[in-house]
Amino acid sequence: MADPILLTLRVNGQTQTVAAPPAWTLLEVLRYKLRLIGTKQGCDKGDCGACTVLQDGQPVLSCCVLAATAQDSEITTIEGLPLDLPRAFDDAGAMQCGFCQPGMIVSAHALLEHQAEPDDGQIRQALAGNLCRCTGYTKIIDGVRLASARRVAQGADPARLGPGVSATRPSPGHLAVGGFTRKPDGLGKVLGTIPYADDLSPPGMLHGRILRSPFAHARIKGIDVSAARALPGVRAIMVGTDLPTTYGVIPWTPDENALCIDKVRYVGDGVAAVAADDEETAIRACDLIRVDYEVLPAVLDLDTAESPDAPLVHEQDWKGRPWKDNCCKEVALSFGEVDEGLARADAAVDETWFFEGTTHAAIEPHCAVAEWAPQGRITVWSATQVPHYLHRELAVQLQVPESRVRVIKPAVGAGFGGKSEVFDLELCSAWLARATGRPVKILYTREEVFYAHRGRHPMEMRMQVGAMADGTLTAVDDQVRIDGGAYHSFGMVTTYYAGQLLTGPVHLPTYRFRARRFYTNKPCCGPKRGHGSVQPRFALECALDELSEKLGLDPIELRRKNALVPGTETVNGMAVPSMGFLACLDAVESASGWKERRGKLPFGRGLGIACSMYISGTAYPIQPSKLPQSGVQLQADRSGRITVLCGASDIGQGSDAMLATIVTEETGLPPDDVLVLTGDTALTPVDLGSYSSRVTYMVGLAAQEAARDMRVQMLAALARRWEVSADDLEVAVGHVFLRSEPGRSMATRDVLQLAEEDLGRPLGTSGGYRTRAVGGSYRGGAIGASPAYSATAHIAEVVVDPETGMVEVVKVWVAHDCGKAINPQLVEGQIEGSVYMGVAEAVLEAQLYDSRGLHLGPSLLDYGLPTSVETPEILARIVESMDPGGPYGAKEAGEGPLHPAIPAISNAIHDAVGIRMRRTPFSPERILAALQAQAGARAPAAR
Amino acid sequence: MLRMDGFRYAHASSPEEAVALFQSEPQARYLAGGTDLLPDLKHRILSPALVIGIARALPRGAREVDGPGGPEWEIGAGTRLAEVAALPGLAPLPQAASRVASPQIRNMGTLGGNIMLSPRCRYYNQSQEWRTALGGCLRAIGDICHVTNSPKTCVAAQSSDTVPALLVLGARVRLLGPQGSRELPVADLYRFDGMDHLVLSQGELLTHVLVPVPPVGAVARYDKLQRRGSIDFPLLSIATWATFQGDAPDALRIAVGAVSPQPKLIPGLDPFLGQPLDDERIEQIAELVFKRVRPQAALMGDPAWRRSVARVTVRRALQALREEAAA
Repeated sequence: MADPILLTLRVNGQTQTVAAPPAWTLLEVLRYKLRLIGTKQGCDKGDCGACTVLQDGQPVLSCCVLAATAQDSEITTIEGLPLDLPRAFDDAGAMQCGFCQPGMIVSAHALLEHQAEPDDGQIRQALAGNLCRCTGYTKIIDGVRLASARRVAQGADPARLGPGVSATRPSPGHLAVGGFTRKPDGLGKVLGTIPYADDLSPPGMLHGRILRSPFAHARIKGIDVSAARALPGVRAIMVGTDLPTTYGVIPWTPDENALCIDKVRYVGDGVAAVAADDEETAIRACDLIRVDYEVLPAVLDLDTAESPDAPLVHEQDWKGRPWKDNCCKEVALSFGEVDEGLARADAAVDETWFFEGTTHAAIEPHCAVAEWAPQGRITVWSATQVPHYLHRELAVQLQVPESRVRVIKPAVGAGFGGKSEVFDLELCSAWLARATGRPVKILYTREEVFYAHRGRHPMEMRMQVGAMADGTLTAVDDQVRIDGGAYHSFGMVTTYYAGQLLTGPVHLPTYRFRARRFYTNKPCCGPKRGHGSVQPRFALECALDELSEKLGLDPIELRRKNALVPGTETVNGMAVPSMGFLACLDAVESASGWKERRGKLPFGRGLGIACSMYISGTAYPIQPSKLPQSGVQLQADRSGRITVLCGASDIGQGSDAMLATIVTEETGLPPDDVLVLTGDTALTPVDLGSYSSRVTYMVGLAAQEAARDMRVQMLAALARRWEVSADDLEVAVGHVFLRSEPGRSMATRDVLQLAEEDLGRPLGTSGGYRTRAVGGSYRGGAIGASPAYSATAHIAEVVVDPETGMVEVVKVWVAHDCGKAINPQLVEGQIEGSVYMGVAEAVLEAQLYDSRGLHLGPSLLDYGLPTSVETPEILARIVESMDPGGPYGAKEAGEGPLHPAIPAISNAIHDAVGIRMRRTPFSPERILAALQAQAGARAPAAR
Repeated sequence: MLRMDGFRYAHASSPEEAVALFQSEPQARYLAGGTDLLPDLKHRILSPALVIGIARALPRGAREVDGPGGPEWEIGAGTRLAEVAALPGLAPLPQAASRVASPQIRNMGTLGGNIMLSPRCRYYNQSQEWRTALGGCLRAIGDICHVTNSPKTCVAAQSSDTVPALLVLGARVRLLGPQGSRELPVADLYRFDGMDHLVLSQGELLTHVLVPVPPVGAVARYDKLQRRGSIDFPLLSIATWATFQGDAPDALRIAVGAVSPQPKLIPGLDPFLGQPLDDERIEQIAELVFKRVRPQAALMGDPAWRRSVARVTVRRALQALREEAAA
C-alpha cells in the first residue's frame, strides 16, 4: 500500500484528522477510521446510494469520493442531521431493514432544504439515486411528506413534533393488536446507531477474503499458496480440505463444502480464503494464490443438463453414490383423474411458460465476523436469517460442541431468502479466527453476492388447464423443469413447492405435476421470496386468463366461480382453515374500476388480474425433530420492564415489533417498556429462522403462549391481594383494574412485582410452537402444507408503447388476506415491498450468464433494481379473514403478496396490446418482437 | 469493499499545475468528479501511479463571452452537471445534463468529465476477477473484442448524455496541454476506437466548453433510452436541434450517442432544409438515422431493438420540435 497521508476533514461540524492511504474513499474513512457507522456500503461503486452523505450541503456518493479530495468541504452524515426526518420516517413506517435509510434520509433532507413542500414526483426524483429493496418506496415517500408537513406546520422548528401519522388505534377489544406499535429498532436503524455486521470491529480484527473460481466447471489439480503466505500482513490461508465435511441446509442433501475440494462448479465458487491485516493485503494475497485447474465442459442450461451425454456437475453424492445424471430431485404427484378432466373439458389451454432466474439483491452484502475465545468458544456475528442453522453447522464444521458456539444476528439489511442458509464466509471466517487467534471479518463485495445467489430458480413450465363452458375448472397438469445451479440448497423443497402450492385459492378438482430439478454450472439457486411457487403461479394465472378469453368469461368471475371454500381441503390434502380470497377479489375489482374500464381502455393501456395463495410456515421443519420450532421466553424485572427473548430473526419485516405488540396485548405493559432481544443463540431460545413466512404465525403463537402465562400469573397475584376473582380483573395499557369498580386499579409494574413476590423467584414464562401435523398423508404431503394460508389478488394497470415495446406499470392494486393485521403499518409495508419485488421480476430483473457461465451483469448498475422513479403506485388493502389458528387470527404477509404481480402484468399487457408474454422478464425487446410477430412483420431478434 | 491500491494523490490548485503534475508522472490520471474514474480504479481496470485532483483546479460556472462566430457561453469544465442542468437557454444541454445518472452523481460529476467519459462495454466495465475469467478483451489484458469477435477494433460505446447535445449546439472544447492551449470542435474530439477514443495528447486537460448562443427560436430536445428511470447510462443518447422558417427548417442537427466510441452528428440532412417538415419527410429522416446508426452489443440491450427505437425516437422528437416551433 502507498504510504498513508494525513487528512483533515470537517465532518458534522467537527474537524477530524486521520491517517489513511491516499486510495481510501470518504466512505472508508467515515466508517472505518472515524467510526461513523451510519453511512452504509451497498455496492461500493456508485450504483445504490446507501453511502450518500452531504458535501457542502449536496448529496454525494461517498464511495466515489476520494477522501483526500473531501478536505476543505463540510461533510454531513446521518449522524449530523436533525432528527425530524428520521422521526418522520419512523412514524410513517418508511423503514424496514433500515440499510438504505441513512442515505435515503440524507437525500430527502437535501430536498426539503431546497423545496419545502415537494410533490410525489419531486420526491421520487430526489430519491432516484437511492435504491430500496424492502419498501417499494411507498412509505418512504409518506415519510418525506410527513416531515415536510411538520416542518411547514411547525414553522421549520423540528424540535416541535406532531403526533405520529400512524395513529391507527388497536382493534376493538384489543390493547395493541391492530394498532400502530413503533418498531423497537426503528429509530436506531434509521439513525444508523444500531450495528449491522460490517459495523462491528472487535479489537485486533483481521480481514478475510475468498478466492473464487474463474471457471464454470473445472477440476482442482493443485493449489500453491506459498507466494501468498509470504506476503507481509498475511496471517492465515485455508483451502477446501481444511473444512472437509460437506453440508447443506437440507440435512438430506449436504452437497457443498465451505471451499471446493476436488471441483469448482460455477464461476465464483470459492477455492481458498485468506486472513490478513487489512483488506488490501487479503486481496493481493488472493491474487498470488496459484490454482491449477483442469477445465471441464460446463452445463449451462436445462437442455444440456438433461441430455444423455451431459457432463455431470456432481459425479457422486455426499455418500459416494454416483449420480447417473444431473437431475438431483424429482417429485411427481397426482390427485384425481387428470386426463379424464382434460378430456371432458370444453376448453383447454396448453402452453409453456418460462420464468427467468432472479436474485434477492438486498442492499446489505453478506458479512460475518468470527471470534474465538481461548477457552474454545466461538462467536460469529452474521447477517443471517437463520442463526440457529448457522449455529448447528458451525459446531459440525469446526468440530466443537454446540454448547461452545454462539451466533449473534446484528441488524440485518434484508434477506428475502438470500441469507437463509449457511454461506462460505461464515465458515471461513470462523476457521481463520481459530487459526489466527484473532477476530476475522469477511465482507462480500456486491459481485460476490451475485455469485452466492441462492435466488429464484429458472423454471420452464408446461401447463395444461381444462374447464367447462361455465368456467368450472376440471383439471390442471403442470410439467416443470427447474434449473438449480451448482448445488442443492433448499432444492428438495423447491421441487415440491413447484407443484404443491398451486392448489388454491382457485380450487383444482384434479391435479397432477411433475417437477425435476437439475444441477447446472451456475451460481446455486435457492429460496427467494415466494420460493418455488412464484414461477408456477405465473403460468397458472396466465393460463386462467387465456382460458377466460376462450370461454368469453371475465377472468375475475372465473376465479370467483372456482374459489376454494374456507374450511375445506385442497385436492392435495391441505386443510385451509381461513380463506379471504373472495374479499380480495372484491377489493381490487372495485378499487381499480375493473368492471367499468377493462376491455374499454384505449389500445396500449390495459388491466390484468391475478391471484395467489401462500403458506404461513410449513409443517416441515428442515431439521426433523419433535422439539418446538419456536420458543419465546419472557422475563419481568422489577423496573417495570418485560424482556422478550426469542431466536426469531428480524430482517426488516418487523418481527421484533410483533413480539412487543403481543406482550402489550396480553399484559398491558406499554410497548416502550418491552425490551426485545432476538437472534442470539446464547441468550434466546431457538427459532428456526425467518423463511417460509413462518414467523408471525409460529413465533406469534409462542409469544402469545408466554404472554398469556404471564398475564395469568399477574391477575392471580392481584386477585389474591384484592381478594377478588381473577375473572373480575381487566387488563388495560399501563394498569390492571377491577371491572366492577374501574377506579380501583394498580399499575402494571406493581402487578408484576406482586407476582414476583408471590412466586418468591424471578418472574419468567415461556411459550413454544410445536409443529402440528398437517398436509396429506402421502410421502411429501407435509412439504408445503401449512397451518394457515394467505390469499392475494393483484390488478395491474400497464401502458405499452407499441412502437418501442416499452411497458410502464402505472399502478398496482393489491388486496392481501393476512388473517389479522397485528400491526397494519408493518403488514402494508410487506405488501408494498412484495409488490415492488414482483413488478421488478416481471419487467426488469434477470440473472443471466454467457456461454462461459460468466454472470452478465454482477452489479447493481447492470442488474436492474427499480428506482423510485419507475416504481408504480402501489395501493394496498388488508383483508382480514381471522384465521382460527393464527395468533389473533394472523397469517403471513411477507411473501404471498409478491406472486400475482408477474401474471397480473402479463395479463394486463394482453389487455393492452393483445400479446401473451409467457417469458420473463417482459423486456421491451420481447414485447416489440411479439407485437411485430403478431402484425406479421419481420421482428428483430429478441433477447 | 472494492479496495483501490498503490497510487499517490496530488492536489492541483490550477489547470497549469494539474498539467505540470501530469508531466511529472508517466502513469497519471486526472480526477474531477470521480464517478467515472473511481469505478474503473475499483475494478482494477486502471492502475495509475498518481491521481491528480482537479475538481477545484478547473474553472467552474458559465458566462457569456464574445466568441469567433458571435456570442457564446463559456462553461468551465469543472461545472457540476447539476449546475449545467440549471443553465438558462442552451437547449438541449441542460436537459441532457439533468438526465445523467442520479441526483448524487449530478452533484459530483463535471461537464468535462461527462465529455471525457470512458467508453463502456459489458466485457470491460467489470472487476479484474471477472475480466480474467473472460480471458480479457482487446482493450484490457486480452487480444479479441468479444462484441465483434475480432481483434480489429474496440467498439465500446461513448455513453455521455451531454455530448450529443453539445454536438447539435456546435460546441467546442478548450484544452490546456504542456504546449499551451487550443480549441477543438466537440465533433472532432473523438475517433472510432474504444481503446483510444479521444484525440487528446497525454496530459491534455479540458478546461472550458464553448457553446455558441443559439439563435432565437431554436428548438431542441434530448431523448434518452434507458432501462430504468434513473441511474442508468443511456442505451441511446439522442439530441435534436432545429431552427425554422415557417414550417421548414433552415437548420437541422441530430446526434446519436451510446452507439459507438465516436459520437457523431448524423450527416446527410441538408436536402431537408428549406422544405416543409411534414410527416413524410420526418419519416425519411428517421429512416436515414436508422440506416446510419449501428448500435453495438457492447451495451446490454439488443442492438436491433435499440436501432429501431432510434428511428421511433427521432421521428417523435422531430414532430415535437415542429410543434414547439409552431407554437
